[in-house]
Amino acid sequence: MGNQELIVEKHSERIHHGLEVLPSLRHGLPAGLGNKRWTAELILATYEMALTGDLPKNDLEYKIGDSGGGFDVLGWKNDAFAKVDQETVDLSISLNKRGEGRKIEIPLPIYGGGMSFGSISLNFMLARARAAKKIGTYTSTGEGGYPDAIVPYRDNVITQVATGMFGVREETIQYAPIVEFKYAQGAKPGLGGHLLADKVTSEVAKMRESSMFTSLYSPFPFHSVYSVEDHKKHVDWIKTVNPRALVSVKVSTPTDVDMVAIGSYYAGANIIHIDGGYGGTGAAPEIAKKNIAMPVEYAIPKVHDYLVSEGVRDDIVLIASGGIRTADDIAKSIALGADGCVVATAEAVAVGCTHCGNCERGRGCQVGITTTDPELSQFIEPEWGEERIVNLYTAWTKRLRSILAGFGLKSVRDLRGRKDLLVRYK
Amino acid sequence: MRELVGQRIIDSRRTLPFDSVPVGKQEAEGGCGVVGLACNAPLEGKYLLQSLIQMRNRGNGKGGGIAAVGLVPEQLGVSKKILEEDYILQVAYLDSSVRKKVEDEHVLPFFVVDYEARVEAVDDYHSIPGLEVEPPEVYRYFVKIRKNVLAEFARRNGLERLKENEVEDEFLYQNSYRLNQQYYSSLGEKKAFVVSHGKNMVVLKLVGFGDDVVRYYRLEDFKAHVWIGHHRYPTKGRVWHPGGAHPFVGLHEALVHNGDFANYHSIMEYLAQRNIHPLFLTDTEVSVLLFDLLSRVYKYPLECLIEALAPTTERDFEMLGEEKKKIYRLIQSTHIHGSPDGPWFFIVARNEVEKNAWQLLGITDTSMLRPQVFAVQEGPLKIGIIASERQATNAVLGKLQEDQRIPSRFADSYWNARGGSFTDGGAFLFTVRDGEEGKVLECADKFGKSIELPEQDWLPSVGSSLSLNASIAIQLQKGPGTQDPLGFYEYVRPALRDAGFQYVREILEELKLLAVKGQESRQFAIKALSLLYDRIYDTGRKKRSSLLQLYHEALNDVFSSVSLSNYDLYTRLDWKTRSRLIHPGIEGQVLVIDALEFPAEGEESAARFVVDAYGEGWRNILLYNLRGHRFIGSGLGARTNGLKIDCYGDVGDYVASGIDGCEITVHGTAQDQAAQILKYGKLVVHGDVGQAFMYAAKGGEVYVLGNAAGRPLINAVGRPRVVINGTCLDYLAESFMAGDPYNGGGFVVVNGLRPSFDGRFVEQEYPYPGSNLFSLASGGAIFIRDPYRKVSSDQLNGGRLADFTTKDWELILPFLEENEKLFGISVKKDLLTVQERPLDPRQVYRKIEPITLQELA
Repeated sequence: MGNQELIVEKHSERIHHGLEVLPSLRHGLPAGLGNKRWTAELILATYEMALTGDLPKNDLEYKIGDSGGGFDVLGWKNDAFAKVDQETVDLSISLNKRGEGRKIEIPLPIYGGGMSFGSISLNFMLARARAAKKIGTYTSTGEGGYPDAIVPYRDNVITQVATGMFGVREETIQYAPIVEFKYAQGAKPGLGGHLLADKVTSEVAKMRESSMFTSLYSPFPFHSVYSVEDHKKHVDWIKTVNPRALVSVKVSTPTDVDMVAIGSYYAGANIIHIDGGYGGTGAAPEIAKKNIAMPVEYAIPKVHDYLVSEGVRDDIVLIASGGIRTADDIAKSIALGADGCVVATAEAVAVGCTHCGNCERGRGCQVGITTTDPELSQFIEPEWGEERIVNLYTAWTKRLRSILAGFGLKSVRDLRGRKDLLVRYK
Repeated sequence: MRELVGQRIIDSRRTLPFDSVPVGKQEAEGGCGVVGLACNAPLEGKYLLQSLIQMRNRGNGKGGGIAAVGLVPEQLGVSKKILEEDYILQVAYLDSSVRKKVEDEHVLPFFVVDYEARVEAVDDYHSIPGLEVEPPEVYRYFVKIRKNVLAEFARRNGLERLKENEVEDEFLYQNSYRLNQQYYSSLGEKKAFVVSHGKNMVVLKLVGFGDDVVRYYRLEDFKAHVWIGHHRYPTKGRVWHPGGAHPFVGLHEALVHNGDFANYHSIMEYLAQRNIHPLFLTDTEVSVLLFDLLSRVYKYPLECLIEALAPTTERDFEMLGEEKKKIYRLIQSTHIHGSPDGPWFFIVARNEVEKNAWQLLGITDTSMLRPQVFAVQEGPLKIGIIASERQATNAVLGKLQEDQRIPSRFADSYWNARGGSFTDGGAFLFTVRDGEEGKVLECADKFGKSIELPEQDWLPSVGSSLSLNASIAIQLQKGPGTQDPLGFYEYVRPALRDAGFQYVREILEELKLLAVKGQESRQFAIKALSLLYDRIYDTGRKKRSSLLQLYHEALNDVFSSVSLSNYDLYTRLDWKTRSRLIHPGIEGQVLVIDALEFPAEGEESAARFVVDAYGEGWRNILLYNLRGHRFIGSGLGARTNGLKIDCYGDVGDYVASGIDGCEITVHGTAQDQAAQILKYGKLVVHGDVGQAFMYAAKGGEVYVLGNAAGRPLINAVGRPRVVINGTCLDYLAESFMAGDPYNGGGFVVVNGLRPSFDGRFVEQEYPYPGSNLFSLASGGAIFIRDPYRKVSSDQLNGGRLADFTTKDWELILPFLEENEKLFGISVKKDLLTVQERPLDPRQVYRKIEPITLQELA
């Protein structure tokens, strides 16, 4: 084995070992791990679930964080309900509820969010794609293009068309069963994507056809969409290139997010994907991180209620994202009115993210997730990563079934909009 | 004492009832299809119809409307005097049972009704396909205000010092407001509303498309000098009301709007401070209320009115003269929060009663975020057209030409406005006024600078039979093998300049005869005709637009003469025969597609048919009769090297989007979003291109004869090599990331030329007029032809002007040589000759290159 391979092997082994040992709390709760949203316990619980595919056996908190707001102050009603057999609970949702177009269903109300090649390593991307295929759901390319290595998984990969149109080619649109228009992301509303110079390695530059080690900024709007009828033209364009693709519109959560939703519906979107402000990001200016859009737990009921009043709620799929960490967060989002959720950071935690916050640097990620450094990006072995993500989803499946069964609900679709099952902690 | 007068009018509105300012818009607009036309003779509504139909994809059927100004008294059943003097009060009754009450409360006590009639409509609205909501019944009252009522109104509000017509206008405005408030408050029951009330002007609107209005209210033969039409794209609300459709009226003006405001609340407050309370709660209504306020109450000259709506900013402001800067600064400080912020484009139809003139205006926002095009044609009629897209203007002209009212479906001139600019102020207007012998149509920009057309002859109607010209016949009989199309073109050029239309017709007849003689002759004829159609040359006293009409007809005849065949060089399919598509019969066979009846978009569109044809093995495809067909070239996928597509007619938006290897030639103008994400291949456009040209393109070899609009090549990467022979509106190559031009990277050459009416290529006033040149670019370069050093560094935003070197010349020369082959723009004579002196390239071209900015590092 060459030197590089030895280094990678040694570090990967250490990382895997650490991910196994830490959740056992043999060394106590690591000081400095995590933050108020992603607490040390939540992170360790996620490691545990990614290892075993089961809910944590020890006392690790796996449902809720400590932020004092958001989903952390929402709990479940304690009333008794007629119980239902957990095994029979149906967690599937449809991703196209319009009368026309291909029918797509996923077995869980979850799919993977866009993280671009460049912001993350190819190996992590592969791990996610493999996991999506195994589970029967989707992952998204993010706005950095569609690497060749992902093409074998195309049936489970969503192509993202973002404002910089990086790596967008006709064939990447033609591969995709679903095309995701990224108008904005919650972590930096009003700004386009950022990829700082360190991370624009030769591979990334090649994929995006830009220059190496020059920062890439996507514009904040699509320069071809300044008005909602332009958005319809955009959708028409995708349908000309790939008539069978479904369309998802990803937006952040401004105060008029309901208007955006209805506009997207009329333009022909199948999915409206609202990305709230707790979302992760590979890079964002401080001012964006600190002045974020409407929290997603407000945006979801706002959009859901509005779509109901407009009489179109059952024709469009509402997906929420932005800091969805746990199965409980997913269930709460659905109870507030979403059909399902998109997760990204949680998948990163499954393969060892420690929330150190060094994502935007070229060699900042010591576990090989948010890096395209030739050495560090090898730490995640795609098969191993696939297993970790699948295990996490499996554990979540158990928790989701348990929540639903506890309320006597036979299907996750019946949970939608059931705000009455939520209580607010003081 | 002007300001007191204005203030008194404002004060007089204090007693008008209103609801408190709502926080947000109740209805959200999208953007829409808008079109306007003005003519020195009254035109029938049916001419608006085709362009509205072609723009249906810009609306969603939830609102459409028209306005007509400068009407014909006989059609309305009144005398000329009444038409000139009376207000045409039109009330739309959604609930016919309230009519008597409305008349008793709001009409009869105040007005003398000289004539009234129910506006004609079809008997059953179901007979108009797609109309789901019954349109309102509209009554038209020709009224004058009772003298005693007027006197009392003036006395009560201290308006005695105003001129009588000013008091009348204000009285009418307030009366209509009260009617609307009572019978159509947006939040209450909608029973009736004033749809228009200006003099010599009518507005009609319903829940449907704009063309539905023409059909429902039987306006096909209704004549007017100025028309505007609109499709709405509202997205909020489940129940649609005709009151929310455009146009909205102020007093003597109607306005349609394409776009969306971000500062609606601010404008509401601005208006509320002046006792103006919108009732219909849409962007458009406040736009026209602003317009009315500025023109009628503040009596701003048009230039100042436009400045208040679309302020001149940044470098454009600096370029103004000192006098103007002073006035504009004052206007801006007063009105900035009443200036709409966001993408918008207004078309206004108005009656300038005091000047006895009718106007059509187009005003675009400062950031040029909405597409717009202006056009003018002079012939037996003089017509001005304003629209959201070029193919809509050609639709109007096309119908008029079909009916033989005008000689050509092509305008004499097309242009875009530069929003908030010092060059044209972002606004153009067409004014119909009395001339020496009947009505004349004048065209001017915001500053009053008029758009003149040279005195040339237009095509007379087809006269006697044509005799064939001997020398041409001999020339052609030598056989196409002995003379190539380019040679033929050069041969006839002098005749195209010196001879009359008759001679040109003869040439075309010869070519058409040749086309049916055999396959090679057909190919010769098509190539020769294409050269006549595409190239720029001196046409002498003949209008180029008229010649284009002849070429267009000849090409269509030649294409239509192609039959379905497996063995000929050419074969033809159309909508009816589309199912007979199979693989090519012989090597190099050309598939000619008549696009006319294909849908403009969707699975059955012409664009998808091209994809099917490519899949069947076709590598030479020619489309004609394009009428706004969209996405031509999309959907072909990767590696389409060897495919050639020619487009004749009016190509729609997104042409050549995403192509990867093929070659597309547009014989004419391309529209918005052309060549976006183009990866590889060649695009040639014998005309202008629209907004966001080559957005995020990755490569390509592209040649544009004319101008680009706003934001060409924005966010482009990789290696595009582009020659734009004209210039563009602004934001050229913003965020360009195309690497090192010397090492496989990309660049753009801008020549800043335009064709003169006598067929030369002359320098435009500014090779680049904007202030955001190469903004925040991190790769690539721009090479601009700028012998007078007009481009200055204050036009840049993160780039720098650098010496143009021999190395740069060697880089771009091959592309300029290809440019010469394609368009006849001579490197030596047109590019390197300045004021008749040949210069070294380094004295002619300049280079703009990126600099490494802190922010981008």
